[in-house]
Parts: sequence; structure tokens; C-alpha cells
Amino acid sequence: MPAGRVLGVVVIALGIAALFNSEAIVRAGEGMEQGTTRDIVLSVGRPLDDVAGAIGLHLPREGLDLAFGQEDKTASGTELEEGSTAILRQGGQAGEEQQPSYRQPSPGEPLEVLVTGDSEAEFLGQRLTDQSPPGLLEVETVARNATGLTNPAFFNWELNAQQEVAARDPDAVVMAIGGNDGFNVEAGGQLYGPSDPEWQTEFARRVAVVAEEFGADGERPVYWIPPPTARDEEQDEIYAAQNRAVEQAARAVPGLRYVDVYSTLNGGKYSDSLKIDGRKVLARQPDGVHFTREGSVAPARLVLEQMAKDYPALG
Amino acid sequence: MSFPTIEFAAFFVVVFIVSWALMPHPRAWRPFILLASYVFYGWVDWRWVLLLISSSVVNTVAARVIAGSPSKVTRKRALIAAVAFDLGLLGTFKYFGFFVDELNSFLDTLGLGSPLPIVQIVLPIGISFFTFQAISYVVDVYRGETRAASLGDVAILQAFFPHLVAGPIVRANELLPQLRTPRDPREVLAGPGLFLIAGGLVKKTVVADELARRVVDPVYNDPAAHSGGEILLAFYAFAAQIYCDFSGYTDLALGLALLLGYQLPQNFNRPYLALSLQDFWRRWHMTLSRWLRDYLYIPLGGNRKGSAKTYRNLMLTMLLGGLWHGASWTFVFWGGIHGGALSAERWGREHLKGFRVPAPVAWFVTFNVVCIAWVFFRAPNLDIAFEVLGGLGLSGPSPLVTLPMVFLVVASVAVQLLPEGWWRRAEAWLVARPVAWQGVGFGALLVAADAAVGQQGVAPFIYFQF
Repeated sequence: MPAGRVLGVVVIALGIAALFNSEAIVRAGEGMEQGTTRDIVLSVGRPLDDVAGAIGLHLPREGLDLAFGQEDKTASGTELEEGSTAILRQGGQAGEEQQPSYRQPSPGEPLEVLVTGDSEAEFLGQRLTDQSPPGLLEVETVARNATGLTNPAFFNWELNAQQEVAARDPDAVVMAIGGNDGFNVEAGGQLYGPSDPEWQTEFARRVAVVAEEFGADGERPVYWIPPPTARDEEQDEIYAAQNRAVEQAARAVPGLRYVDVYSTLNGGKYSDSLKIDGRKVLARQPDGVHFTREGSVAPARLVLEQMAKDYPALG
Repeated sequence: MSFPTIEFAAFFVVVFIVSWALMPHPRAWRPFILLASYVFYGWVDWRWVLLLISSSVVNTVAARVIAGSPSKVTRKRALIAAVAFDLGLLGTFKYFGFFVDELNSFLDTLGLGSPLPIVQIVLPIGISFFTFQAISYVVDVYRGETRAASLGDVAILQAFFPHLVAGPIVRANELLPQLRTPRDPREVLAGPGLFLIAGGLVKKTVVADELARRVVDPVYNDPAAHSGGEILLAFYAFAAQIYCDFSGYTDLALGLALLLGYQLPQNFNRPYLALSLQDFWRRWHMTLSRWLRDYLYIPLGGNRKGSAKTYRNLMLTMLLGGLWHGASWTFVFWGGIHGGALSAERWGREHLKGFRVPAPVAWFVTFNVVCIAWVFFRAPNLDIAFEVLGGLGLSGPSPLVTLPMVFLVVASVAVQLLPEGWWRRAEAWLVARPVAWQGVGFGALLVAADAAVGQQGVAPFIYFQF
């Protein structure tokens, strides 16, 4: 076949795929890191998606999603995107005079724990199981890779929290998230970057919104683990801001517990390795952010320490 | 850059157009395809390109010295220097951390603590593949099996983007002659090319990623939380996953190369129909098997130095083949199982000459030995591997065992039974359709493939980590 005809086949195929998959193109763009590639994908994808949606070209893809058992894209326009910072002024950890009494676990009735968040949740969930006293925790891990709180158009954690709680009704939630949260955020009609104090406040507000959904007003504790130190300095600063934001949110939201992995491990200094049980292990993955399977023991133990304050049997 | 992504689709359309436009002018085409391959490789981290270039330069110089020197000693020294450089690259990037970790553990058991610093070294994608290709090139020049090529040709041989990150491991005499002859733009092997790409996409997105997400990953992440039924399904599901993932990648690589006018060697030939381990290795990752045979097993002495040394050579070859995949004891175990089984088969052939195993039994035993070895390949450590094998007999509810998942596992093996002629006829039928219909059909397949992977996107190919 002549090369020109092959090109015809390829171009028609990509055109069809782009039209019928326009939603997926937009979603892929929204999930990309900020930069030229993301801008190009979104500037092509969004108008294409508007046209495809207007003439009903989303329908075949929706049918296929249903056939493959895929979840719906989370909707936009929620409190996570636009809401009041009043949520940060209510009584949380510091203001809790009465410690709520949570159901205590026993080998017959283990605590049902949902471990969720971004990719960092994966190993944490595994390690939480094998670091806890036998039979006291029943851990279910649901990692939503590449998601964060600053990109709700890509994945809306507020809606996801509502869905997860309705579907699983866990006794406690462990949330490990933040590695993908470097996006600018809009607050009061202004855009703020991670180095702005307003960004931190807005991030704290979003943490509070999601934690309230998971925790149902303190009915179940939510253990929130922002990212640890990062090898890259710029990234590290964003993670430090997130840690301060989660700390701030935990003071306001009942049942929200801040797990400080950032400043506890290795004295708050980044290191590829950690000493665990007297042995030096490679604790971080090549990206200088994620914990390795072996290294995940350290944050898992910090989570268990925090959990033991609510559930003494885990201590 | 990974094949099934938006970035790659845009990249390939541009490369396809420019490549065919420049094809009649090799002086322009070569720098273009090299540059395109470097863009492809450096998309994630441009520093990796420097590593690739340094490998091409060192091996080109060594091959030139080997080809140009009348002195046997000089030739040998140049070969040793090049191979040492190549293995040094692999050793530094792939095995340094592993050996430091093991040495620390050893010193710790002696009560000396863990004195060596542990440093995370980023593993450049595809380093095992382009390093093996480099070794094969200089050895072939040394053996007189191929001529020393220009730096540009060696660089293209190593970097040609369809095979750069996960093979097939191409020999110089398979690709260099093709580079020297301009392709005819009127005769693109579009039928087999598009057919391979379509098949590769389906294998990866519909089978491999689905099995990984719904069965294999949950079980291997926490075997203790799963019943024997679920573990048994994961045991077979990983065999199906890795076949569809790796052969799917290879199909894409071969298909893309064909659309650009180049033929790469086959890497798979219905491996799960093998009736012996020897047969399996003639069908699975064929370009690695022949590399291990030609550059390791035969130089070690092969089967020419008596029974004991043959078994030793088989075992060593497979253990090193295992270690090539990754710096972990699980891969050593995987290689050891294959080496042990190949040795046992050889012993049987030598000592039980009148005994013939019925084909269904031979198939069953071979397939299950391969699946047992896959447990070590997939498990993150030996404890999990033994936990998976030990959990096969446990009772309990099995919500992961669903009809679609069982179907995918069975279908990925059963599809290998289809006669080759059927595929050829399907290809011919596809090529005979009008361009518009081919495009629509192919576009529909892309939509379905994307729907199959869903919001989480296509998982990285398993062999990218090697």
C-alpha cells in the first residue's frame, strides 16, 4: 500500500478517536503537569469536546464505559472548587473538648479502614496491614493515581469521598495525598500559586471539605498524610505548604488527624534511605517522592501511632 | 514516551510524514530518524539521551578498532574494553543499589551495622536492551559476522524508537542493511503493520491492564487477604497478563517499524503452546533467548564440554538471564527455576530415551512450571512469592473470580491455537477495504481501547522497568 494511503488510514483513525474520545482527551490533558503539552492538549481537546458533546458523539463512549464497568467522570461545580473559608473557623482537634468514643477493634470485629489517596496510598495500605497487631485492622486500599485536590476538574475528591463512604461505610479513613498538587488555585476570583499564603489557606479549605465528607462531622476519624519531604527543592516547598495547610485544617475539622510524616522522618530532611528496625533501607523511589515498599513501613507506623490515640488496642 | 498515548500519536504522525518524505535522501533521513528517536527517548529525561549517545560512541570506536587492527591482541583488548564499558553502565545504573543493599545486610549480620550509603539511582528506561544490542554489535564485528558501521548507523541501530525501550533486541545484520537501502514509499507493508498495532493495543488495554487491575495487583499486593480461588486465578492471570503486555508491546513495535518501512525480528511465537521448557524458550522473548545462547551459553562452552558443564552452563545462563531482568532475588529464583527445569529436561532426554510423555501432559507440566516461575517474576519479594504459592490451597469467598476475568485468561492462551493462516487472511481482508473504512475501523478500535483502560490511563509496559 502506498505511504499516502497509510497516512489516510492513520489520520482518519486518529480523527475518529479524537471525536468520539474527546472527553478522554480533555481528562488526559487535565491530568497532565502544567506546561506546553498540557496547554496544547486542552486547547485542542476542549473545543473538540464541546462540538462532540453538542452533536451526541459522547454516547458511544459512554456505552463502552458502561460495558467495561468504568466509573463516571466526577462532576464539577462543587464546594471543593468554590466555597467559604468559614469551614476553617469551626472547632476541630484543638477545640475538641470531648473526645468522641469510636468503636474499639477486637480480633472478632476488626476495624474497617479505608486507605485512599493518590499513588502514595498503595504501599501505605499494604504496610498498614502488616504493621498493625494481627486481626485488628481490615484494610481496603483504593489508590487514585495522579489525582489531587488542586485539580478537581480531573478528579473531584469531595464527590469521591461521598461515594466511597456510601459504598463502604468504613470505621476510619486514612488519606495519603498531595504528590500531584502543584496546580494554581482560584480563590475569591484570584489565581494563587503554591508559594502564596492564599494558596495554603485555599488548600486547607479543600482538605477540610474532603475530610468532612469522609469523617461525617467527626463520626469517624480521618488520618491525613500530606506528602513527605521531596528531593527536589521546589517540590519540597510545595509539600511543606501542604503540611502546614493540613495542620491548619485539622485544627478546624472534628475527627481530622494530621499525620506529620514530613518533619518526623529523618528530622525533616530528605534522604533516599531510612533506618528501619536498625537496618538502613532504600526508602524512596527514583522520583525522590514516593516511598518504596520497604520504606513505607515508616509512614505506616506513624499512622498507627496516631490511630492508637483513638484506638488504644493498636498501640 | 509510551506508545498508547496522545503525545505519541501526534509524534508518530509527524515522524511518518517526514520519514517518507525524506526516504529518497538517506543523508537527510538518517539524521532525522536519529533526532526523532532521541526526542522519543528524551521525552521524560533528556539526560538519558546523553547516556545513549555515549554508548553509541564508545561501541563505534571499539568496533572501528577491532575491524581496522591486524593485531589479535589489540582487537581483543578493544572488545574487552567495549564490553566492560557496556556492563559497567548496566552495573552502575541497575545493580549498584542492589549490591550495596546486600552488602549492608551481610555486614549487619556480622554486627557491623549498615555502613555503606544507600543512594537511589534512576534507572534509564531501556538500558538493558540498548546495552545488550551494543554488546551484540561489537562481538559480531569481532567475530567477523558484521562490518563496522559509521557512528550514525550504530546510533540508529541502538536508538531506532520502535525497539528502543523494550526490544526486540535487534542484531546489526538485521537492521543495518535495511538502513542502507531506501524503502519504497509505494510498498508499505500496511496490512501486517496495522494488524500488529491493532492486536498489540487490544492485548495491552483489554487483556493485560484489565487482568492487572482487577485480579493480579490486588492479590500480589496482599496475598493474605485473598482466598485460594483468587490466588489460583491470579497465578494464571499473571501468565496471561505478561504475555499480552510484552507481546502487545512487541506487536506495536513491529507494526510501527513496518509502517516506517523496516522489519524487526519476531519476539514471540505462541509460547504457551510449548511442550517443553526448551520449546518455550524458542517461542518466548526469542531475541533475548538467542542473545543468551549466542553471547553467553555458547561462549561458556554450551553443550560441547560434557554433561556436568552443560548443566552448569544452562544454569548460569538462566540465572544471569534472570538477573538481567532486575536486581532482585526474585528474578534470580525465576532464572533458577527455568535453569533447573531445562537441566532436568536435558537429563530426561539423555537418560530416559525410550520414555515418551504424552503431549497433553507435557503441555500441562511445561505451562505450570512457567506459571510457578512467573510468581517469582511478579512478586515484589520472596516472602510474597512463597505466600502466593502457599495460599493456593486456601478456602474462602472469591469475589475476584468473575466470568470475564476467567474468560480473558483462557482466551489469551486459547487464541494461540488459532491457525496462522486465519490471521493472514484477516490481514489481507483488512488491506482490501477502502481507506476510509480501514480508518473508521481502526478509529473505533482506538476508542474501545481507551474505554477499556478508563480514567486511570494505560499502565506502563512491564518490560519498561528492565
